[in-house]
Amino acid sequence: MKDIIKMVVVLGLICLVAGLALAGVRQVTLEPIEYQRIKNVMEPSVKAVLSGYDNDPIKDRFSMPAGKDKKGRDVSKTVFPAKKGGKLMAVALDGSGKGFNGAIGVMVGIMPDGKMTGISIMSHSDTPGIGSRVAEPVFTDQFKKKTVDDPTSVDGVSGASYSTKGVFAAVQAAAKFYKSNQKELLAKAGQ
Amino acid sequence: MGLAQEFTKGLWKELPPFRLVLGLCPTLAVTTAAENGIGMGLATTFVLVCSNVLVSLLRKVIPGKVRIAAFIVIIASFVVIVELLMQAYFYSLYQVLGIFIPLIVVNCIILGRAEAFASKNGVMPSIMDGLGIGLGFTISLGFLGAFREILGGGTIFGHHIFWSGFEPMAFILKPPGAFVCLGLILGLMNIISSRKA
Repeated sequence: MKDIIKMVVVLGLICLVAGLALAGVRQVTLEPIEYQRIKNVMEPSVKAVLSGYDNDPIKDRFSMPAGKDKKGRDVSKTVFPAKKGGKLMAVALDGSGKGFNGAIGVMVGIMPDGKMTGISIMSHSDTPGIGSRVAEPVFTDQFKKKTVDDPTSVDGVSGASYSTKGVFAAVQAAAKFYKSNQKELLAKAGQ
Repeated sequence: MGLAQEFTKGLWKELPPFRLVLGLCPTLAVTTAAENGIGMGLATTFVLVCSNVLVSLLRKVIPGKVRIAAFIVIIASFVVIVELLMQAYFYSLYQVLGIFIPLIVVNCIILGRAEAFASKNGVMPSIMDGLGIGLGFTISLGFLGAFREILGGGTIFGHHIFWSGFEPMAFILKPPGAFVCLGLILGLMNIISSRKA
């Protein structure tokens, strides 16, 4: 009996200390990781969907409340505004949809009048050579000049219908977010 | 054995991937370039030294029956710390190594050293043991990575070293190429050590 208590106590203490240490490291690295993620994952896509701006969309980014997740925590969406001479040209925001093999993250550029400047696939884990073709310009370029009211009336990639649906869902999510928050979003971006 | 020997044994006699043929999963998977191999090796070394120190310090406190569970908790914590730090400060390396960072938890070298060495020895020998084995692992992965990068990509640390018409053997960078290269190196090391004996 004494053995069992000792085992439980020692293992419990080790786990407790480990948990505290991990929580500490997590706190310290939270911000650098967020920065790296924006710089390495989002920045190339932001630059791909926005053009002709003279500000720094990454520096001028702002967050918008985007409802709550399943656990009831607040979720925010990061918006990247592109301006020229202080005038808002377009905003870039991301959406996510379920692809063939996990989530597909898509950055969508939208002009103030609701026209889209284009999309760029940020992340996906679909089959290389099949699902991955949704990241090719032949497919993504079709979204240029579509509007947020009808964002996905384009040809899908044959043989990759799950991946195509994932991208559609992601683009629709971004468009829906834009439409339902348009006033607030443009007001914030215009500053 | 003295402290120096605890250190040097990891460099030849107990060189993990090539002499003990341990830890082959990362050895085969991430060595497509010298830089990746060295990054993986250093991450593993950090975890190995830290876990050796803690296991050695706690060796009299941890009851024998739950020692493996305790070791795994210690190792896994350090792996998560490495993963977070790498994500925060070496993001491009993190993207390349990806899933193989969390898999350091089940790297048999680390659990093996905790069980076979650190749980029976003091802190200083355990540090030397961890450093030696870790350095040996890093050098092995770096060497295998450089070997594959040169033959398979015609580059070393990203710099081109061959003439412009050089056609790299892309096969070497694929998984079967990893086995071929590992086999060649193992054979070479066997020849050298049998000459020595």
